[in-house]
Amino acid sequence: MVLDISDEELVVRFRGHPIDRDNAEHYRGRLERQLRINRCKDCGTWNHPPIPTCPTCWSLNVEAAPVSGDGTIYLVVFLHQGPPAEGVDYSVPYPVVTVELDEKVRFTSTIVGANNDEIEIGKRVSLDWIERTATPLPVFRLQTSEKSE
Amino acid sequence: MTSSRNPSRDLVAFAGAASTGFQAQNTEQSQVELALRACIAVLKQCGLRASDIDGICGTSTPEARRIQSGLGIDELTWFANPVMPMVNPVAAAVGAVAAGLCDVVLCYHAAYRLPWNTASSLKDPYRATGQATGAGMPQPETMAGAVGYAGWASRYIYEFNAPREHFGYVALNSRHNAIDNPLAAMREPMTMDDYLAARMIRSPLCLLDMDVPVDGADAFVITTTERARDLPNRPVLVNAVSLGMADQNEEDQSRSLERNGQHVVIESLKAKGDFWIDDIDLYFPYDGFTIITLNWIENAGFCGRGEAGVFLSENRDYESGQIMINGRVPVNSHGGALSEGGTQGSGHIREAILQLQGLAGDRQVRGPERALVTAGGFFINAQGILLRIE
Repeated sequence: MVLDISDEELVVRFRGHPIDRDNAEHYRGRLERQLRINRCKDCGTWNHPPIPTCPTCWSLNVEAAPVSGDGTIYLVVFLHQGPPAEGVDYSVPYPVVTVELDEKVRFTSTIVGANNDEIEIGKRVSLDWIERTATPLPVFRLQTSEKSE
Repeated sequence: MTSSRNPSRDLVAFAGAASTGFQAQNTEQSQVELALRACIAVLKQCGLRASDIDGICGTSTPEARRIQSGLGIDELTWFANPVMPMVNPVAAAVGAVAAGLCDVVLCYHAAYRLPWNTASSLKDPYRATGQATGAGMPQPETMAGAVGYAGWASRYIYEFNAPREHFGYVALNSRHNAIDNPLAAMREPMTMDDYLAARMIRSPLCLLDMDVPVDGADAFVITTTERARDLPNRPVLVNAVSLGMADQNEEDQSRSLERNGQHVVIESLKAKGDFWIDDIDLYFPYDGFTIITLNWIENAGFCGRGEAGVFLSENRDYESGQIMINGRVPVNSHGGALSEGGTQGSGHIREAILQLQGLAGDRQVRGPERALVTAGGFFINAQGILLRIE
């Protein structure tokens, strides 16, 4: 059902996001709470952010495919100030992490459900979803059952 | 893949460099006025008239056509507005002169406090409505732009266990050098305690790890070395210039601290140029963020990976904070982006030229002959230039 929303409606749902023809399927996936990353259907290479080509084999046969969402924290920043966003209060520094997904492509978002002093490079995370302005936002959660690297 | 071909080597030169100076407050001048003031200053310094200029090249705003209009330049045979930082327009101008597209290029960069830089610039109605509106506000969950440097600073700290003081050495050196620079925006002395106590902005980087938003402009005249010899100032020859970019150039996808645009620039300059770090008298590693400087110092080959902090501690004066490599080579002698002001590298290039021409005032280094500027960051804008006098 949500799959069928028009380009016009997609842009409206994600107002403020840089929606274009090349990343539209990634954002359509968000509406189904599915994190889709570009994958080459010819050579299998994952690539992000979306671009119409495969940088490895130059194929144009690229699709936005779901990823597991499991990965390892690669970069961490705590924003003490930043752009206004619903549900973001910089009075507690807001974590932004780049996660190296197990598919060997990186995705950047925030971490939920953790104290800032627990958020460290090398720790394992899993994908989760929250809502911002009534729209799903992919986020990460620490894998608490597992020791960090 | 690095090519050593460099047919313009030493054939194109800076004939002059001038600046309005910089301030970390809103001036009551537009960005085009700042650029025009710097352009007029450099043309007067070089004894050139409007009819002598046939090329104009600056960073994106103001456009070349506005500079032509403001200075009444009769006709141009070449013009361009490459993106920042400053080595982009310099590289374009050097190429255009070497290729014969024009003979004398007026080159400029106008730094301007944009509405999203500071709360006070947001309040200036002309900054909100004019050309200089800048980028829209992104969502918080991004490593784009400034956030990416904080992200890679966290990675550097993780990989090398670097303490904050290593970043502080860069900030203290810039501030010490700015004190003697009348063009600089930030000239109050700074201590390591000041640095460590500064407000965190994007942890692990604090306010004093980031360059200062300023109003002000630099301008340059770039022409053939032959023509420059007939002008009043000593020609500063472009020995080699490079704009480097590595694949996966998005901030969060960049391969590693061992593989980004800086490495491309270093390999290219070493292949094309006639001298390297053992031969230079002045070094200008970009310091828009302190993490950039630490990596330039390592990647240029002054020390090994992760060793920049220790290297700086061994090459700095404990009392003043000033860095002198091997007791001889100053680093960002003008105060850098951190303390002169965020000029996208135009300050670094201008200072290199003024030092090589013997025009650096109280900061003048004794008899420098060669300079290395490594400008820009990691991802999309690493760049460098080797400069020398005859």
